[in-house]
Formats: sequence, structure tokens, C-alpha cells
Amino acid sequence: MLQCIFFLSDAGEVMLEKQMTGHHVDRSICSWFWDYVLSQGGDPSMILPVIASPTHYLFQVFRDGIVFLACTQVEMPPLMGIEFLCRVADVLTDYLGGLNEDVIKDNFVIVYELLDEMMDNGVPLTTEPNILREMLAPPNIVSKMLSVVTGKNSNVSTKLPDATASSIPWRKINTKHSSNEVYVNLVEEMDAIFNRDGILVKCEIYGEVQVNSHLPGLPDLTLSFSNPSILNDVRFHPCVRFRPWEADQILSFVPPDGEFRLMSYRVKKLKSTPIYVKPQLTSNAGHSRISVLVGIHNDPGKTIDSITVQFQLPLCVSSANFTPNHGTVNILADKTCRWSIGQVPKGKSPCLSGNLVLEADLEKLHVFPVFRVGFRIMGVASSGLQIHRLDVKNTPSEPYKGFRALTQSGEYEVRS
Amino acid sequence: MAPPPIVQQKSSSPSQPSGKSEVSDLKLQLRQLAGSRAPGADDSKRDLFKRVISYMTVGIDVSAAFSEMVMCSATSDIVLKKMCYLYVGNYARCHPDLALLTINFLQKDCRDVDPMIRGLALRSLCSLRVPNLVEYLVSPLSSGLEDGSPYVRMVAVLGVLKLYHISATTCFDSDFPASLKNLMLTDSDAQVVANCLFVLQEIWNLEANKSEEANRERETLLSKQTIYYLLNRIKEFNEWAQCLILELISKYIPSDSNDIFDIMNLLEDRLQHANGAVVLATIKVFLHLTMSMTDVHQQVYERLKAPLLTLVGSGSSEQSYAVLSHLHLLVMRAPMLFSSDYKHFYCQFSDPSYIKKLKLEMLTAIANESNTYEIVTELCEYAGNVDVPIARESIRAVGKIALQQYDVNAIVDRLLQFLEMEKDYVTAETLVLVKDLLRKYPQWSHDCIAVVGNISSKNVQEPKAKAALIWMLGEYSKDMPDAPYILENLIENWDDENAAEVRLHLLTAAMKCFLKRPPETQKALGAALAAGVADSHQDVHDRALLYYRLLQYDVSVAERVVNPPKQAVSVFADLQSSEVKDRIFDEFNTLSVVYQKPSYMFTDKEHRGPFEFSEEIGNLSLDQESMDNAPRFDESDKDLLLGTSEREENGGTSINGAATPGYSAPHDYNSSLVPLSSQTQSEPAVTSQTSFAIDDLLGLSMLAAPEPPSLKLNSKAALDPGTFQRKWGQLGVSISQEIPISPQGVGSLTTPQALIRHMQANSIHCIASGGQSPNFKFFLFAQKDDGSASFFLVECIVNTSSAKAQVKVKADDASASEAFFALFQSALSKFGM
Repeated sequence: MLQCIFFLSDAGEVMLEKQMTGHHVDRSICSWFWDYVLSQGGDPSMILPVIASPTHYLFQVFRDGIVFLACTQVEMPPLMGIEFLCRVADVLTDYLGGLNEDVIKDNFVIVYELLDEMMDNGVPLTTEPNILREMLAPPNIVSKMLSVVTGKNSNVSTKLPDATASSIPWRKINTKHSSNEVYVNLVEEMDAIFNRDGILVKCEIYGEVQVNSHLPGLPDLTLSFSNPSILNDVRFHPCVRFRPWEADQILSFVPPDGEFRLMSYRVKKLKSTPIYVKPQLTSNAGHSRISVLVGIHNDPGKTIDSITVQFQLPLCVSSANFTPNHGTVNILADKTCRWSIGQVPKGKSPCLSGNLVLEADLEKLHVFPVFRVGFRIMGVASSGLQIHRLDVKNTPSEPYKGFRALTQSGEYEVRS
Repeated sequence: MAPPPIVQQKSSSPSQPSGKSEVSDLKLQLRQLAGSRAPGADDSKRDLFKRVISYMTVGIDVSAAFSEMVMCSATSDIVLKKMCYLYVGNYARCHPDLALLTINFLQKDCRDVDPMIRGLALRSLCSLRVPNLVEYLVSPLSSGLEDGSPYVRMVAVLGVLKLYHISATTCFDSDFPASLKNLMLTDSDAQVVANCLFVLQEIWNLEANKSEEANRERETLLSKQTIYYLLNRIKEFNEWAQCLILELISKYIPSDSNDIFDIMNLLEDRLQHANGAVVLATIKVFLHLTMSMTDVHQQVYERLKAPLLTLVGSGSSEQSYAVLSHLHLLVMRAPMLFSSDYKHFYCQFSDPSYIKKLKLEMLTAIANESNTYEIVTELCEYAGNVDVPIARESIRAVGKIALQQYDVNAIVDRLLQFLEMEKDYVTAETLVLVKDLLRKYPQWSHDCIAVVGNISSKNVQEPKAKAALIWMLGEYSKDMPDAPYILENLIENWDDENAAEVRLHLLTAAMKCFLKRPPETQKALGAALAAGVADSHQDVHDRALLYYRLLQYDVSVAERVVNPPKQAVSVFADLQSSEVKDRIFDEFNTLSVVYQKPSYMFTDKEHRGPFEFSEEIGNLSLDQESMDNAPRFDESDKDLLLGTSEREENGGTSINGAATPGYSAPHDYNSSLVPLSSQTQSEPAVTSQTSFAIDDLLGLSMLAAPEPPSLKLNSKAALDPGTFQRKWGQLGVSISQEIPISPQGVGSLTTPQALIRHMQANSIHCIASGGQSPNFKFFLFAQKDDGSASFFLVECIVNTSSAKAQVKVKADDASASEAFFALFQSALSKFGM
């Protein structure tokens, strides 16, 4: 079980320390860790998540410039340590409205309070944001205003959540709401790889059904899809009942209050992608020409926006210039080029052309960049998954139901 | 332990106190506020507390303000209380006398109306961890365990564990374990039940070594009744508690196959849980339950594949790494199952390199006839990757696939294309591979040599690649018209060549070339031998001298030694033995998997890093396999003689345990082809008897030790686990036999310790043990008591249900192993009498 958690800044400074058990872990472990990070190139995001130090096993997760470091001396499931740290990061992001050094330092008291409720003596307790929020109110503007006006300044709710005692740990028993509405959101990410010959070698969708529920009492929901057979592998929020899904592929559940991820799924082996990117590189006597063509492949029926193409110039390129016929190109310090296209204009296909000057003794290019493509399509779930119906039982009046869909690019890469 | 280094502070931070004056200033202000009942007092207190805590957070010692903080703690404000609890918890350890001051207000808070305050106060009270305050803990804890609020009960349960760690006797005297057991089976709140389980597990595990009763209690946690009680409630528990319970279930030994299927049915939906830790814990249960049912085990693999692959794809890179490590293990065990899922292991540009590395290994493992083409195509694209280590790794992967014999034709073409890329590291890696390929498939020499011959040795700088190139020049000098001249060129620059490895190869290559094309090479060989004999490196010098004398003695003998007809290598040695892999598999869902080493290799001090903090590990090990039982006397001088130099090697191999097979040092392939150093083909006996050679080095004549009529064992023998490990790997099994154990023996073998003590009385020592009834595993050793450093190593697997022990003996001195085995058998038969 975890013995201690440290938060480190991206400069290796210890921002916070929380001892979990009687076995006090000295801070010197952090300097050992940081020396290790420096010896591995200094980038904490490239460090193995599990490291054996001379005295402890360390788990580390790097999020938004903060290293979450946990120490243990006993054998434990590695994913338990890592998952827990990820949850800590999620909960803190949720509570503090973002993560960075200053936010942590300004709110260390609430961070301590949260850690206290999430883990005792190295045993993870609850990491469910809904329940935590009932024990400790997040420090938002409203509560700050209130505290100024009323002079009372407590972010601790005086009542313990009932949920710890209920058999539905994700929901408190008497939720009261002025609103009576539920939103279902299909969010899909498309991962694709095109190889050097422009052939689609892999295309997959990772999707989530996100639900935002503001329903009073103990509502019972059922959600069904028109074509559940396309789903390859599904994972559920603990609230989903397993049997109805096994039998009829229906999602039956009592939702937690607020936003949560009801289900995640994968759709494999898709054959078509909405967008194509065709890079071409030619080299000749120390000079290289690059041209990238972007266009819509299979029109999804809705506008594709926020199209970007990003690639890193090989180290051996000493200088480069680009001229796009649409959109703008930025070259960052680490030789990352980012071409922002936005939407594909009518009657013209965006094209980027440019010259690369190679380093003195090089004849031609040996290392080829990978083009990473970003896009977003509102209103379409590219996997083709369709929601059939959503029924709400056990509510005093028929609630408002809203549905949305969104596809965005995940790891969408085109090799050259 | 070195004093903790001062944490570097950002100098610009204005809130840092410059010195003690700040702290004393704080003390003064706190003192003024302590008795104040003015309206704004709580707010100012809160600000002050916040400052104190922030100093504490950045690592400044504010313990001087302890008494003032306690004076201010009489408040109804819950945030103030929490900050105060935090402060007290942090400093009570170093101020046990002052901690007494806090007892009063904490005890009062434990009786508060608000359950939250009761819980928090109880938690803080138990976290003080001051031994002489234990008496104050007992009554709040007992009332906490019976509290109406589950929150307080939950805190109290963990409080019992904290109490146990401070004073185990107080904990037992108050009969807390029994109340916890009761609570675990009856409480309505799932979190309370889970905490009880956790605490009981930890207490009984630690107590099991000391008392029989504790051991029995531990067994009852694993009884069918308890397991099913928890299983039936599993959905009530939160995700972390589920992990804990699943871990327990994985240790459960099912009574029959219905039992197995019942459990699997109950748990099947856990595979679709959103928390990866739950999914992995469930997978562990499934794998362990079906271990003995081969056909079901295969189906389980199929069933587990999809959830694992999804886990890899979702979540952060840290999570996917942990999952991939486990997947890696499964892939290595059953590559066939994953052969159609190869696309999951394609590397994404944004993957961190530690993930790419794992993926490359898996791609290599699952390559077979049906997918080789796609996989190799994919791997070849990585060769142009911006990330150079990954580019190298992928070239190696292509080579490894080629060595697995699938579609070699196309792969060789690809490799040769790499050479045309003219990128130095690509060329370097490829050369090494081509060399390995040629050793396995000599029939490809023609195509390869044509391309290799065109490579200018000036473009090859890395020693390994250069050595490979030189090896090919020597080996195929007949087919390469330029070979003698290239070698001559290299020999001319002998002094610029830094790597001894390359110089050694240069010598051998010059010899080989000379034997094939004497007139062209004679001059170069002369120069090489002269330079070699004058070389400062001992090995180079020795080899040069050996060649020189061989040539002087008889050229045809030299030919037989240096250039014997070679056989193609069929299989390259795998660095990680299958035994080690099995051990790791037993420890599924533990850190072992991530390190790709079984736990005994890293929980043991010997295998840790080069330096150690002198901090004591404490006795909180949950693991049965603690090394505390191993006798640790001072090592005898002889043992050191044997150990020191080789221990380094041992450390080296265990670190890169997953390194490429057949790719480590060029010495390997030389010695596997031609015994290069002092051994000739006419004396193969020497190579196969390295264990004797060691004895000989120590001056122990083989003939002097014929089977001794009565073997005496050194009662104070000592062997460190590292050496044990190395020896175990080196020596062959001399005896493997099954021995029956007497019923009395079975009866006494409730814990591994019982047998360990018994064997120790017979001068057979235990180095590691583990397992639970009915299966125990022991690694034992003994030393001959005749002044020699000859050890006997024993692996003994005892199954109490069948009353049999499976014994494997390895010995430095194989001739004495019969006598030792007889001794071991008689010792074992007396166990329990």
C-alpha cells in the first residue's frame, strides 16, 4: 500500500508531502527521483511510471507540469498505484479548475483535505468525485463570494454524505433539483495510421457515452442503441447493470448526479476516414521539397472544422519555409510545424508547399516526419453508433432529454 | 543516512521565512490569539494556521510552535480543526511529550455530535503514533468500532491497524481482531467491511510467523464461506475495495470445478469495469483459478484479450504502460493467440519510448507466417523514426523476426535496404544483424556479402558494428576480393582503435583471411600480431600470442583452431529462462511484471541498486517471502573469492534481463562457434565441465574427492542470495526426485518456518521460501565441511495434500550429490518426529 505521496513541480521542487502510514518517508527520496529524471534526459513525461529506487518503489504520473509521486516498500498491484495517482490528478483538476503549480500552492489546505478523504493508512477510500464534492465543497467563485459576504468561510459541508451508507455508492439518496434534465453525449476519437505508401493500416474508434444528469430522486434509466453489434469491447461505469446488457445489450442504470462517463467502447477495423492528407517529400542535392495536400475523403455530411496538420522537422533540417494556399503555418522552437487549416474551403483543396535546407554534408533526407492530423466533426459519431431511445423511470415528471454527438481525431497519423 | 538535502527553493518566493524569527513571530501571534473570543479571531487564526501549514509543506520545521498550536486548537471551526490535526499528526512523532497536550482535545472531539468530526479526530488520534500514549487510544477505538456512523467505523477499523503497528500487545489485549472479524461479516457498510478485511489480512500475515492461531485465522479469511460472502457483496464495494477482495480471491484454492465456474460467473462483469486496476485483479483471479485446467485456461486467454487491449488504448500513457507490461507477459506465453491483433501494437508517434519498446517486443513475439509481412513492413517504417533508440530497436526487431525463420527472403532484402539508407546508426545495427543472420542462414552469404562489401569501414564507428563487419570480412574473405586490403587498412590504424573488442576481432579476422589467402594477407597479419603482442589490453595480447605460437607450431593446427567447419546456429540462447518467466507469471498483477523479474530478484537487497539508504525496511512486508529467515553470517573468505568478480556480471545480466538474445557481446558468438581462448576442438571436455574448472582453480583436485562415505556439512555455511541465484542458473540438475513425507511432517508443516528450522538443525539452510498450504516452496543450500567452497543447492516443493516433496539438487561437486541427497532425505524424513 502507498506510504507517501509527493507533488513535485517540473523543476523538481517538492510542493506537497502527504505521509500515509507510520513509516515516515524522507523527502530525500524526491531528490533521488529528480536526479534519476535528470539522468534520463530531464523530461518527467518520458520517465517510466514505475521505478525501483534503492529504498522504495516509486509510482509516478506526470500531469500538467506536476509530478505525482507515490512511494511504497511492499508488493502491490502496479495499476492500483498508477490508477490512484491518475484519480488524484483528475479529482484535483476537477476541484481546482485546472492544475498548475500556483493553483496547488494556493489551495494546499483543500488538497490535504482531499487526500485525507481519498486515502487512509495507504488504503484508497473513495475517489468518486460526486461523493467527495459532498464532503468538501470545491473552492469556486460563488463560495468565495459567499464567504466574503457572510463572513463564514468553510468549504466543508457539515453533513456527511449518505452515499457512504447507501447501496448505490455513486449517488446520494435524496437528490433535489430544480432542473429535470438529462443529456447523452457520444464522443468518439478516431485513431488511424496511414503508412508510407498512403495505405490505411489501422483505423479504430475509441468512444465514450457521456451522460450529464440532473434528475431528482432515484431515477432509473434505460438506454438502447440501434446497432449495438458494432461495439467491440465495452467498459461500464459501476452503475450499469450487467445482466440487461448481456441479454439484450441495453444499458440500465441509476445515474450518479452530474457528469460522468457511462460507458466506453471500441470499434475496430473501420474502412474509411473522413479526411485525407498526402505528404510528399523529394530530395535533391542538399535541398528538399515538401508538399502536403489535404482534402475531404468521405463527406460525413457535417462540416469538419479545426483541421490542423502537425509535424516535426527532422533534426538535420537547418532551415525551412512554407507557403500554404489556405490557413497559417507556425514553426515552433523544437522544429514542430503546425498548419492550422480550420475548415476546408469550397472549390479549393488546401495545400502546403515548402523548401527544406538540409545541413551542410547531407545529400538527401533519411528521416521522415510523421504528420499528425487534428479535426473535429460536430453532430456525427463516425463509428455509426446510433442511440435508439432513452427511457427515464421513477421521476415525478417527464424530464428533458438531449442528445449530441462529436467525432474528433485521436492519434491520426500519416507517415511519409 | 545522509542528512536530507535541503530542498531547493525558488528564491523569488516571497513567503519563505528568512530564519527563526518568522517562526517565533508566528508563535507570538498564535499565543495572543489563543484565548481570544473576539469576533474575527477565527479568521485570523485561520490565516496563521495556513501560514504554519504552508511552511510545513515546503519543508520548514515549525515544530517549535507546537504548544501554541495546541492552545489555539479549542475551536468549533472545522477547517481550523483539520489544519490543526494535520499539524499535530506531522510533528507528534518528534515531540512525544508535547503530543500529550493534544490528547485531551482529540478525545473530546471523538465524542462530538458531528460524525465527521468524530471520524477526523479518531483518525488523527491514531495517527499520532506515540508509543506511550497507546492507553488513550483503546477506549475511543472501541466506541468508534460501535459508532452509528459508518464513516467513524471505517476510520476506527484502520485505527486498529495503526494501533497494532504501535503496540501489537495492546491491540490483542483489547481483543480488537475479534471485533473486526465480527464487523467484517456483519457490517452493512461495504467500506467498513473492506477495511476490516485489509486490516485483518495485514495483522494475520505479520503474526502468522509467530503463532499458530494467527495462521489459522489467516486461513479462515481464505475459507469458502468468507470468500463467497465477499463475492456475493462485491458490487457494493467501491473499486479499490474490489481490488483488495479480488486479490484475496486469487489466493483461494477452489474445491472443485463447479466452484471455479461459480466464481468466474460471479466475476465476469468485473472485466468490464471502468477501473483498470479492477480489471487486472479480475484477470489475475481468472488465470489462477484455471491454471490446472488447460482447455479452460486457453478460453480464458481469449476472453481476457479484449478487455486488456481496450485498457491499453484508453487512459493515460502511465496506465497503458502498466497494462502493456501484463499484456507483454501474456503475449510471451501465448503469442499465437495474439497473432491477429498485431495492429494494436503498432507504435503511435506520441507514445513515450518506454511504451514503444514494449510494443516492439510484442510485435516481434507474435510474428508468424500469416502476419510477418505486415509487421516487418511496419517495423521498417520505424527505422526512419526521429527517435533514434526506437529506430535501432525496430531494426533489431526485424532481425529477431528473421531469426525466427518466417519469410526470411523478404526480410533479408529489407535489411540490405537499410544498409543503403546510409544512416550511421541504421548501418551499425543492420551490420550486427546481418552477422547473426549469416550465422544462422549461411546460404544467404552470397547476397549479403555483395552489399556488405560496398560499405566503407570508415562509415562504421560503433564497436559492435565494426566488430561485426570485421567478423564478416574474416569469415567471407574468400568471397570478398577486397577483404585483405580492407583489413590491412584497419590494421594500419590499430592505435586509433579504442575498443578492445574490435582489436580482438581484427586479430581473428586477419588469421582467418591469412589461412584462406596467405600471400595477400601475410604482411597484414604480421603487422596485426606485432601490434597485438604489444597491446596493453591483456586479452588482445594473449590472443595475439596464442595465434603467433599456433602458427609457429603448425599452420594446419592453427587452421583447425581458427577456421574449423562451422555449423549454422539453430537457436540463440534466450537470456530469461522459462523458469523465471513462470515465476513472474505466478506473480501476475504485481510489480514483478512491470520489472520483468520475479520478486525474489528485487525484494532481496542483493539485487537492489548500487547504494542504499540505511533506512530500515521495517516489518510491514506483506510478502511471505521475506528474506529475514535466511541465515546471514559473515561470508567466509572463500566465498568472497568465488563471489566478488562474478557478482558484478550477475548484477549486469539481471538488470538487462530482457536484452536481445544472441546480441550481447561478440564473445558469445565466438565461443559458441569456436572455443576461442585456450580451448581447442580436440578438448571439448573442458568446456562442458566448467564447474570442475572452478574447483581446480581453488586447488581442489578432482581425484581427491571421490564419494566420501559420510558427508559432513558445514553448520555455519553462508551464501548470499545473489550468489545462490547465479549458481542456480549455472549448475545443471544432478538429482531430481520425489520423496514422500511422513504424516507427522505434514502435520507440522503449517508454515514454511517450521521446516526451515528443522532443516537448519541439520545444517541445511534456507535462502528463500514461500507458498501457502498445501503448496510450499523452499530454496535451500548446504556446504561441505571439508574446507572447500563446494555448495549444494536444493529446490524443494512440498505438497502437503499429497504428502510428497519434489526435490531438485544442484551441486558444485556433482560427485557428492548422491551422498548429500541421502543426507537430505534422512533429514526430511525426521521432520515432525
